[in-house]
Amino acid sequence: MKSFAPALSLMLAACLHAAAALSPAQIQQLPPPGSRPIDFQKEIKPILEDRCINCHGHGRAKGDFRMDSRQTLLKGGTTGPAVVEGESAQSYLIELVAGVDPDKVMPKKGTKLTRQQVGLLRAWIDQGAHWDESVSFARAEPLNLKPRRPALPKTGEKTANPIDQLLAPYYPAHHVKPGKPVDDRLFARRVYLDIVGLLPPTDELESFMASPDKDKRAQLVRRLLEDNVNYALNWLSFWNDLLRNDYQGTGYIDGGRKAISQWLYSALETNKPYDQFVAELVHPTPASEGFTKGIVWRGVVNASQKPHMQAAQNISQVFMGINLKCASCHDSFINDWTLADAYGMAGLYADGPLEMVLCDKPTGKTAPTKFIYQQLGDVQASTNKEVRLESLARLITRREDGRLTRTLVNRLWQKFYGRGLVEPVDDMEKPAWSADLLDWLAEDLADHGYDVKRLIEVMLTSNAYQLPAVAATEQTDPKFVFRGPEVRRLSAEQFRDAIGSVTGAWYPNPVPTLHQADGHTNHFASVRSVLVAADQLQIALGRPNREQIVTVRLPAATTLQALELTNGSELADLIRRGAEAALSRKPHSSDELITTAYRKAISRPPTSKELHLARRIIGDPTRLAGVEDLLWTLAMLPEFQLVY
Amino acid sequence: MSNSTHWSRRDFLKTASAATLSALAAGYPRRASAAELEKLEASADTVIVLWMGGGMASTETFDPKRYTPFTKGMAPDAFLSTFPSIPTAVDGIRFSEGLEKTAAVMDRGTLIRSYTAGDLGLILHSRHQFMWHTGYAPPQTVAAPHIGAVMARTLGPLNPAVPAFINIGQRFDNGEGEELKAFTTAGFLGSEHGPFNIPFPDQAANTVRPPGGMTPGRFEDRNKFYKKLLAASPVGEHGSDYQKESLLRSLDNAHRLLSSPAAKAFDLALEPLESVRKYVPGYQPGQKFEAARDAAGSKYENQMVGRFGLGCLLARRLTEVGARYIEVTTEYIPFLNWDTHENGHARLISMKKQIDGPIAQLVLDLEARGLLDRTLIVLASEFSRDAMIEGKPDKRVTDQVHVPEKVESEKHYGMHRHFTDAGSVLLFGGGVKKGHVHGITADERPCKTIKDRVVIEDLHASIYQAMGISPKLAYEIEKRPFYVTRDGIGKPVMDLFG
Repeated sequence: MKSFAPALSLMLAACLHAAAALSPAQIQQLPPPGSRPIDFQKEIKPILEDRCINCHGHGRAKGDFRMDSRQTLLKGGTTGPAVVEGESAQSYLIELVAGVDPDKVMPKKGTKLTRQQVGLLRAWIDQGAHWDESVSFARAEPLNLKPRRPALPKTGEKTANPIDQLLAPYYPAHHVKPGKPVDDRLFARRVYLDIVGLLPPTDELESFMASPDKDKRAQLVRRLLEDNVNYALNWLSFWNDLLRNDYQGTGYIDGGRKAISQWLYSALETNKPYDQFVAELVHPTPASEGFTKGIVWRGVVNASQKPHMQAAQNISQVFMGINLKCASCHDSFINDWTLADAYGMAGLYADGPLEMVLCDKPTGKTAPTKFIYQQLGDVQASTNKEVRLESLARLITRREDGRLTRTLVNRLWQKFYGRGLVEPVDDMEKPAWSADLLDWLAEDLADHGYDVKRLIEVMLTSNAYQLPAVAATEQTDPKFVFRGPEVRRLSAEQFRDAIGSVTGAWYPNPVPTLHQADGHTNHFASVRSVLVAADQLQIALGRPNREQIVTVRLPAATTLQALELTNGSELADLIRRGAEAALSRKPHSSDELITTAYRKAISRPPTSKELHLARRIIGDPTRLAGVEDLLWTLAMLPEFQLVY
Repeated sequence: MSNSTHWSRRDFLKTASAATLSALAAGYPRRASAAELEKLEASADTVIVLWMGGGMASTETFDPKRYTPFTKGMAPDAFLSTFPSIPTAVDGIRFSEGLEKTAAVMDRGTLIRSYTAGDLGLILHSRHQFMWHTGYAPPQTVAAPHIGAVMARTLGPLNPAVPAFINIGQRFDNGEGEELKAFTTAGFLGSEHGPFNIPFPDQAANTVRPPGGMTPGRFEDRNKFYKKLLAASPVGEHGSDYQKESLLRSLDNAHRLLSSPAAKAFDLALEPLESVRKYVPGYQPGQKFEAARDAAGSKYENQMVGRFGLGCLLARRLTEVGARYIEVTTEYIPFLNWDTHENGHARLISMKKQIDGPIAQLVLDLEARGLLDRTLIVLASEFSRDAMIEGKPDKRVTDQVHVPEKVESEKHYGMHRHFTDAGSVLLFGGGVKKGHVHGITADERPCKTIKDRVVIEDLHASIYQAMGISPKLAYEIEKRPFYVTRDGIGKPVMDLFG
């Protein structure tokens, strides 16, 4: 990012010199004020917005000077009053923007004011500096922060899912005619992958499809949510990305990093209430401290990457959906966060208040420790870090914090529907395409003891979730209209586990030692991909190395991935093992073998045309190479790799 | 493009625009502020980085100083170089003994003697390598892309059937493997632009061959069968969607790469034996380069002579078919190869054997094929070494290597500490001057840069300049611009170019 250290020293210099009255000769040089009446809204506001507010509004107060309102404008900053009503020639603001002293010109950066603009400002001041009270340049009340509970529209249907109730007026308002729910097969594939991360086993799928029970979809969702172990293994990948937890990676080399795998696994397996989950990460126990401990690199690191600053950035991003990264070097250009905000938050994790470092240059100024959203309260001031962190954890997870719940609701929505209610998902100060949905679901989560599984159940049993998949649209398209979940790709881990389901080939041993709720240790039906360090196949398919937090994996297929799938030794080996296993199952006919493979891989029997083609490839009598090629081909089909 | 005859330009354009489209749909990083950048005239189409991982002592290679032979009991600061210097093809430029072949082609190259590494505190090779390859000091708040990935993202492949970023010779399963992975990546640019890793150059053909045991015929049949089954699959009823197209296109690209004539370039067995032997003297077909990593002293380096040569040969073959960015490394493994914490003199004899012939041959071969003018070769290392100084003379950092009061054995004769105040970068082709030296270092310890210092931002800007990329080019990530040189401050060193 750009460094503005020179600008800073200039600013400090400017602050030290008090305003001195201009001499008559200097006043003569000022652009004349003119005498016609000035319209604040039309003529003055645009100048302030364009040239002043970046440094003196939206929470910024360079030189302790804010232009939030008329009051703060008159009050001025460290150099005294900025404006004297009716006396533009005596107003320091005019002296600065007119550039009377070439070393002290405002604005410091960018284009200076034209003589005509200075004249306008003078006339405005001379006429009394009238300010339309509706205009404020103060930091705006942040969106999506305080809890809000919209009323559920009446739909007539008593049992309607709240999501559908909330969307009922949305569809006609956006000229959307929702499609018919997908069939049982597609629905089952979706929920198996979304809840436990696995393909539906053939027998379970068949009995589900055969069931005449009207409530069977909701029952299936509940049953899958009760599979605590596989639920935990699926969501472990999601949270490993968010909490940058892994079994290997930078930092582990010399103890500069600590894994939280056991804590995380247990939290997911027991469905730890989300407020408690977050509290234990923010104010950690030895088992969960790896998250805020961060990654300690050897040698000198950028001030913005000191562990306490990492903690501030990561907590803000993961739990609050805001980006403090820019502000940890300098006042952000992309949002309202300032260096003082970032250091105030980081100080909570340091031994005390920190000296602010502006683009790696110490400023000599200390940032008082404080929570980023003062609207929610502040952290108990204490020299004891334990006390501070306990207080921070309480603050972030209190009922009045509607950001915590909204951020999670949005992340889950993004996972299930391919696109968040708010996009990007790490920019929670943006409006949602349906504030009612976001706000209602967030409140519902808090109302029900922060039960994440319950939230998932609400989402996956809605009609909205069951709509036919639609093509992905550009992430930040402002004209986005919800029409149904987007087509999604299997994640690296889901792909590898799906191959495991088809071939029976899993990993030999888990890397971590995980103690389970039932007293077992590492007791898993199969060693799934999340339980091992990333191999070539998983890396190619997008499992990230977790030096940075990853909240969304890139969705596109890439050539390097395709190469790994086409000739990589890992997949080839799995396919061979699967083909050998298929051939060893006797007695079998080639048609049975083909049908079984289809059912396992894409959850349906082959059509007669597909059966005919597949017979030719596997040969008669069946050849190992032929079965391998069939399995590989199935695994490359969009029907296998995509979630429709 | 002088080496553009082997493929259809139209195909290339088709691929490039499709990739760009998919990038937009998928929320991949966009270029930031492209309109403001001046257009640069590229002087090269391909970059080959020859990476001397582990810290190559410039005073023992391309910037020799006063030579003092070993005598038992000598003072540890008694020597600046442990080899005598030799003349090169250019009057007034001398190299260190053992680099005779490279010296003979110096009249085709430009030598920077004033490259200066960053200040990262306690020396850790992988952090300095991260900085060299991304232009940013680690860690960063976003995953910084490797320079090869920036080339791939910005320029795309030169030949669509050849991956744009090829990385030859580095394994990732050693001591600092995870740290190497942290920068051997496209980072936030997305894995489409990531490295195509070929850890063993002699096995490069396997990376573009059908999987083990599969005949080309079966491979083709499998693909045909796939197309048929795809056509028969009822998924067509879901219509066209971005995800499906992205999947099918990627598989098509992979198949095209594996079955294209360009894939033959990966197969070193197709190179005439006499030609291989110019890179690896005495090479026997099927020869393996293996050594136990705990091999003591210079044993490891000795047994691996030839591996880097094969990498250079592979780089030449790939350049011929249209590679964009290739890196060939001597391989970084803590305490091996250039990372000499002891026995520096003896081990550098082997290291020079590894690199000298291959560098010269690569230059000569590219020249003979008319490709050198449009191919920029950059030989570099993360920093240099010195017998006494760790870090910079005025910014010393914690010593990592014990230096005895008297040098009683050859074990202590060599450059064992990590020196960051001067280092050599050797350039050939791609528009650089011929027979030119840039930068001066002191003749006595500390042998630091005294004129025309070149830092990583400017070195990168120079490489980007040759490739027609502005140092101010930025990609947008998390709504902020991430510049290809840090903060966009890189300035090409125009003195390097003819």
